[in-house]
Amino acid sequence: MKNKSFKDIVRSIPPVVYMLVAMIVIFSLIEPLYLSTRNFRNILLQCVPLMIMAFAQTIVILTEGIDMSLNAVVNIVTVLTVWLAIKGVPLPVGMAISVLVAILIGVVKGFFVSKFSLPPFIVSYGMQNIVNSIALLLTGGASIYFASELYRTFTKTVLLVPNNVWVAAVMFLLTYTMLKRTKLGANIRALGGNPESLTLAGVNPGRSLIKAYAFAGFLTGIAGLMMLCRVESGQPIVANGLEFQSVAATVLGGTSLRHGKGNVAGTILGVLLIQVIQNGLNICGVPAIYQSVSTGGIVLAAIIVNALITSRKAKA
Amino acid sequence: MGKTILEAKHITKLFPGMKALDDVDFDLQEGEVHILVGENGAGKSTLSKVLLGAYKAEQGEIFLDGQPLKLTGTKDAIDKGIVAVYQENSLVPYLNAAQNIFLNREPKTALGLLDLKKMNEDAKALLKTLNCEYIDVTRAVSSLSVAEQQMVEIAKALSFSPRIIVFDEPTSTLSEREVESLFVQIRKLKSEGLGIIYVSHRMQEFPQIGDRITVLRDGKKIGCVGINECSDAELVKMMVGRDVSQVYVRNKNDFNEEALRVEGLCDQGGRVKGVSFNVRKGEIVGLAGLVGAGRTETAEMIYGIRPIASGKMTVFGKEAMPKTPTSAVKMGIGLISEDRKRQGLALNESIAQNNVAVSLLKIFPNFFVNNGKINQIAEEFKEKLRIMTTSVGKKTRFLSGGNQQKVVLAKWLSQDPEILIFDEPTRGIDVGAKMEIYNLMDQMASQGKAIIMISSELPEIIGMSDRIYIMKEGEITGEVKREDPDFNQEKIGELMMLGGAE
Repeated sequence: MKNKSFKDIVRSIPPVVYMLVAMIVIFSLIEPLYLSTRNFRNILLQCVPLMIMAFAQTIVILTEGIDMSLNAVVNIVTVLTVWLAIKGVPLPVGMAISVLVAILIGVVKGFFVSKFSLPPFIVSYGMQNIVNSIALLLTGGASIYFASELYRTFTKTVLLVPNNVWVAAVMFLLTYTMLKRTKLGANIRALGGNPESLTLAGVNPGRSLIKAYAFAGFLTGIAGLMMLCRVESGQPIVANGLEFQSVAATVLGGTSLRHGKGNVAGTILGVLLIQVIQNGLNICGVPAIYQSVSTGGIVLAAIIVNALITSRKAKA
Repeated sequence: MGKTILEAKHITKLFPGMKALDDVDFDLQEGEVHILVGENGAGKSTLSKVLLGAYKAEQGEIFLDGQPLKLTGTKDAIDKGIVAVYQENSLVPYLNAAQNIFLNREPKTALGLLDLKKMNEDAKALLKTLNCEYIDVTRAVSSLSVAEQQMVEIAKALSFSPRIIVFDEPTSTLSEREVESLFVQIRKLKSEGLGIIYVSHRMQEFPQIGDRITVLRDGKKIGCVGINECSDAELVKMMVGRDVSQVYVRNKNDFNEEALRVEGLCDQGGRVKGVSFNVRKGEIVGLAGLVGAGRTETAEMIYGIRPIASGKMTVFGKEAMPKTPTSAVKMGIGLISEDRKRQGLALNESIAQNNVAVSLLKIFPNFFVNNGKINQIAEEFKEKLRIMTTSVGKKTRFLSGGNQQKVVLAKWLSQDPEILIFDEPTRGIDVGAKMEIYNLMDQMASQGKAIIMISSELPEIIGMSDRIYIMKEGEITGEVKREDPDFNQEKIGELMMLGGAE
């Protein structure tokens, strides 16, 4: 196994890589402007909140769950931080409080899912509605503003890379290490793959699940802060729709919705694929109305191709 | 053989409606392989689960080294040195072997992260003691073969430094060579003074590894014998020997037209290897064998659930290859599956809805259904099959096992197929309902239906069948007719356990 042949290496490349390359080639053939450093920097910048949300989604999906409330958590983080700032709480303190709230929401979801054996989809869907309502109540339905230079520090560039991309990179390393190198990571895969094995090993599966949701909550909180720094305001509906994109990105990245199979590195590629498609449609001048249709269509096609290739590999 | 490590006295375990274990004694000595044997449902697994702390017995005591033992759970049993290698593996599919072995006991680095290097080395060392150093401990266990996964399971069990290991049907998924290497390991563990409880019903294995055999039947201990004190025939008799009274009623029918013939049927997974048999109108043909012999898989191929890799199938003389259950139903084939709760019934639907689940299109060829007519049909079946219920609108979830099985039967009777496969039709139902099901099967045969009956209960299959094919490890190893002198429990049991004449 140590000496992989070239063929093995090619076979081991996940299909999302081919699709990503194909999309980039197609868009640059249609619109030469597409292939610019500036544009790729843009793609990276734009995808940061979704990227971190997708890491959180990957963790939840590895437990054989799904989280439909990630958008609401990002919304509330932007709103709560600005709301606290308006009330006189220093921005960094407000940010910390918001992230704590995001973790807490995760704990509540994990508690309901494990304690009452409820389907994660329903629990998180309920949570989405509750949290979104609170965000709307805090803002009276509109956006709220608090001017600060702090937001901009995250869009500045260090070593050619924008700071918020660095933040995403750190979040990736944290998640990757957690999954690979901690007990929690092993327990998360066991939750999805064979919860019985945890009980046999003397682990309380419920507690592991709550920890997993709390970790995902922390990531979502950070995603919320990155969103705040982009929009520089409290926006109660800014992340709506991203909860689905995070699921799509996770699946495209090769994580299965079942059995605790998958990895967070693939999720990065999944997010990039979605972002490349959206950005490409934009650059090529596809009208906004057709953009969602095209994005939906391409993502669906990509997931189908992914499923076909993966099942063929499994058979071979 | 050394001193007694484990002793269980007067163990009684109740499940709703039945005594799974009834006043059973058991003991295990150091350096001993003690085999637990019995038919399916005899209580072997229940007893081992009681000893492993997975079940709590209602009565009885367990002693470890002479001290009373009260287990609070499987973790407690592990801490006391009693571990299991389960039949269905307890591994996490997408963790690697090392992480599986040390799940929740992972060594850590100074930073508090998992010490992958030490974990891999320890796992390798454990596998080396099992002569399995070829297993890559860094690969996800889902990519290992079944035998390799089992070795990982054993390594995991050994990592607890146990004193007692329970093997629950460990060879059911292994090839012959893999079985041999497993036995080498078991002998080695035995020589190190471990006590081993070996749950199995593969008799040919017993002399190779066993010291003593305890036979269970219907939750009772029938006897405990030394491995050389008892012939195979005597053992079979202990396992299955119960009175066959007038439970089975069979009318003699004329068999003429051949309804179904399969030739050289193979599935894709190697569970069924070239099975050939036939069944005629008015005949009940039994498929006898142990769990895992490939009988259910054969039925699933005939019914179009499981893809057929090779072989030929003819229905009433015409070549037929059902690819889906729908096409099988159109050919006039029906299957009463072995798991009625998962496959036979829609538990949250009413009796009436279940009755027409297959035949809906036949009864209502047009777009609309008539609920009044559905209820009327259900009432007829309720009378005919004596389904005990207050109303045909009742959800099948709330019926007893016997009544549920009658609803499954009604489902097929309303479709009226010509060939009907019964897979373990009386599992988990009481004697009264059993007799009614037997009667119905006999009636159907008299009406000229062709019936295939799969059962692990020898008295039942002998009582009902006109002919019996014996299956073992995916092949048919024998055929006996009702008029043959070999049509008895001893001979058929022997064929099931030991295979055909060499």
